[in-house]
Amino acid sequence: MPVLQYLQAFFEELRQQGIPVTTSQVRDCCQAVLLIDWMQRDYFYSTLFATLVKDYSYKQAFDQVFNRFFEEYLSPQNLEHLERFKQQKPARPENETAVSDYEIGMGTPMGKGGSSQAPGGQKNPLEQDFGQVSEAELARIESFVPLLARRLAAKFVKKRKRNDQSKIDFRRTIRASLSTGGVPVNLFTVRKYREKPVILVICDVSGSVMNFSCISLALIASLERFFQHIESYAFIDEVADITGLLLSGNPLNFRGHVLRNARVIGATGYTNYGHSLEEFHQRFRHRMHRKTTVLIFGDARNNWQENGTWVLQDIKNRVKKVYWFNPEPASVWNSGDSIIKEYAPLCDRVFACPNLLELEKSLAKI
Amino acid sequence: MGNIQDIREKMFQAGYICDDKVATVLFLAEALQKPVLVEGPAGVGKTAISQAFSRVKGLPLIRLQCYEGLDEAKALYEWNYKRQLLHIQAVSNQNLSVQEIEEDIFSDTFLLTRPLLKSIASDSPTVMLIDEIDKVDFEFEAMLLELLSEFQITIPEIGTITAKHHPYVFLTSNATRELSEALKRRCLYLYLDFPSKEMEQQILMLKIPQLPEQLAEKVAQVVGRLRKLELKKPPSIAESIDWASSLLWLGKEDLDVETTLNTLSTIVKYREDQEKLERIIYRERDLNFRG
Repeated sequence: MPVLQYLQAFFEELRQQGIPVTTSQVRDCCQAVLLIDWMQRDYFYSTLFATLVKDYSYKQAFDQVFNRFFEEYLSPQNLEHLERFKQQKPARPENETAVSDYEIGMGTPMGKGGSSQAPGGQKNPLEQDFGQVSEAELARIESFVPLLARRLAAKFVKKRKRNDQSKIDFRRTIRASLSTGGVPVNLFTVRKYREKPVILVICDVSGSVMNFSCISLALIASLERFFQHIESYAFIDEVADITGLLLSGNPLNFRGHVLRNARVIGATGYTNYGHSLEEFHQRFRHRMHRKTTVLIFGDARNNWQENGTWVLQDIKNRVKKVYWFNPEPASVWNSGDSIIKEYAPLCDRVFACPNLLELEKSLAKI
Repeated sequence: MGNIQDIREKMFQAGYICDDKVATVLFLAEALQKPVLVEGPAGVGKTAISQAFSRVKGLPLIRLQCYEGLDEAKALYEWNYKRQLLHIQAVSNQNLSVQEIEEDIFSDTFLLTRPLLKSIASDSPTVMLIDEIDKVDFEFEAMLLELLSEFQITIPEIGTITAKHHPYVFLTSNATRELSEALKRRCLYLYLDFPSKEMEQQILMLKIPQLPEQLAEKVAQVVGRLRKLELKKPPSIAESIDWASSLLWLGKEDLDVETTLNTLSTIVKYREDQEKLERIIYRERDLNFRG
């Protein structure tokens, strides 16, 4: 197979796997590949990696594609072909026309792999529904959580930072200028007092939201690294403070870890939002204040028990914002024992987050 | 233009051991004149790459340490406000026109050049290191983007300063936040991970020439195992070098359980981590750290 075609197929495959490969990256890659010795697998690999991948979280996917492709295609006779090709086209990186021939794969819309199923049978982990994934797939989804937490943290920080232009403290500057003959040599600015965001997370860890709670806990753990003022609580039919419980360990075991080490299972062992909320209110309400944002992760499936809406009302009155993240798609809300409609009016917003992508989008909106 | 093996060799002479992958990226950076974005865990030698590279090239290293709140005034240039004021005071009784004074106070004398301008305005090529780029704001990153694609800086009062030579640019990031796609696209991407046992042993022996081979091997092995445990802060290369040299100072030829317990504080820096390791060592009575 001609060189260009199989490089193109390679780029294509990377895109299929969700690695965004842009035209300019393709150009860089082709330029770079002409400069190195193809026979050396390490050179070849790191040339492609350095030019095509810009994020370590894609490494695994890249390696898979690379191994598949260049076991298959980098056969001796192909290499020979490449060598001949290289001699025909001397490497001139500064000369754009020399590489214009390589600008390939432009017709394909570059993207995140879309929702289409990749040939390997793997779905895009960001778009897989939490409700129906295997353990291995869950691990794949989980590996995206730190990335997501990082992006969110950056967004929050950015929000905080707006309007941070400091103003001249006129009084202090003039006062200080007296010692320099009225010339304001030293300028003083008004220091703005900025508060750290205070986030309080309440997470349902019951069986009905098993996968979702695994992901939420992993997310909470990642967020704890970025925000100092974040407190987390978990419940099934009793509520417990799990702040700091998630500092280390495999994120996929967090749920088990919480179940073992925190008193979240009470007398019945069945999810009870009403009781948990009341208990939360009784024990921890003093930890909330006007600047707190409360995030609730759960499906609001209450096993037909007391709903405790008055607690949520009181929480809403105490804090700045209350957001609810429901792993179920909106179409099944309020069916069966789901009582999300009773809580919804008491939240600032309720989001349906059946997959990681939606969860990220929702979190970004707050 | 040297080849990849050549670069590897020269980096070694400059005190930096790198594998073919790193050398390839350095080679491409030079050939394609592209910045290199280096990512990886803390303490794997991200900063050291550019330092060694500047020694290899015999070029000055100009370093910009990024931090939250870093702005153009600290990174590019700033007018020396105090000096300008004093100058105006000094010439105020000399009957100069406003224009003359303005020309005076917006001249090079009153310009404080910060690292990036220094690198661009330099008469000879430089190695530019922008350390921990993930710490700066988005706005600053956007400004940097412009700088890295055009290699020029515009100062309204003076004009545009274009680099006479393209500097070699290294950016390091601890990935505490996502960098913009545009910036990443402009760079070659290099991910540095902790070294293999063999490579770490080589590093130790390069950095501490008196270190016996056997001890170097043992240290590299144990440190490698420690990094597989879930520690708050896995030991960096610098820490394993510290550890090896303290063992050397203590006159140890081999690494045993007792010595390890006594010197844990050189290798892990958090109390929780130390306690965890102590627990494991006491339980297992060996240094295998099976977790």
